[in-house]
Amino acid sequence: MSNLTKILIVLLTLSSIMLCGIVVTYVANADNFKEKYERTNSLQASAQQEKESLSTQLKEKIQQNDEREKSDKDQIAKLKIQADELNAKLNASTRQVNELIERTNSFAATTKDFQATTEKQAQLLASAQEEVKQLKAEQIKLTKELEQTSTAVVEKTALLEAAEADKRRLVEEKADLQNRMDKMLQGGARVAAAGGPVTQERGKAIAAAQTITDSSNIKGLISEIDAKRSWAALSIGQADGVKEGMKFHVTRGDEFICDLLIVDVDTDKAAGVLELVQQSPKVGDNASTIL
Amino acid sequence: MSPEALIKGTKPQAISNLYTVILAVAFGVVVATAAFVAYKCYFYYGTFWSAQ
Repeated sequence: MSNLTKILIVLLTLSSIMLCGIVVTYVANADNFKEKYERTNSLQASAQQEKESLSTQLKEKIQQNDEREKSDKDQIAKLKIQADELNAKLNASTRQVNELIERTNSFAATTKDFQATTEKQAQLLASAQEEVKQLKAEQIKLTKELEQTSTAVVEKTALLEAAEADKRRLVEEKADLQNRMDKMLQGGARVAAAGGPVTQERGKAIAAAQTITDSSNIKGLISEIDAKRSWAALSIGQADGVKEGMKFHVTRGDEFICDLLIVDVDTDKAAGVLELVQQSPKVGDNASTIL
Repeated sequence: MSPEALIKGTKPQAISNLYTVILAVAFGVVVATAAFVAYKCYFYYGTFWSAQ
């Protein structure tokens, strides 16, 4: 055996050992690609299934979203229509409110004017009532003065009548004396019989005034009242000297209530019409012909 | 086999057993490597050569 063969054998052995070691190391460290492939394939299949299911769900969701979108669009359209109607109603209501506010303001102004006018009229009414009261008081005073003047006139008239009667009686006495003197002067010793004057001496006028005074001092009480017809009845009548046409003054304490003009007289009661009513008379108020 | 043996027509004899052993070791290493590779292929892929 040559040396070259020996060298080749050794080199072949060493190289085979080295290459086999490399191969063994590589194969020992090599991955199991089949397992990896199967695992990856199963993962891919599951991922595919998941993808399909997800795509199905996605389609369903898309359909649902489309349906929702359609329904939402319909609802939005309806709501827009309702919103437009409500806006129109709101505008109409706003106009009505503005009109009502304007009316209220005008009514308030009118009411203020009316109140001012009413206050003025109330003031005028109060002043007029005051004037009426004053005029009624003056009328009552004038009536009293008129009655007093009438009484004085009656007295004066009675005095005048008495004076005229005295004058006529004196004239008659004078004529009688003149006749007597003429007869005495004509020679007759006849003594005229004493004759009285034709006109009788009359009483004093004071008596008439006293009668009037007595008739005006009649006092009584209000027994019945008919406020609707302004009628009232007195508790005294013809037996107490009451006559038709008499005027009684109705008082309550120191207050003047009204006048009562007698139009109907009975024996023990009388009825009359209320005049110059200051307050509504009541049963029990005093009534007299003189205040 | 040496040329002399061929010429003489005698029975060839190994020159040295040492190199035969070396060759046997190399052959054994190659066979073992092939067996290991074959085992791995069958274990991983279920076949010795082609992919199923």
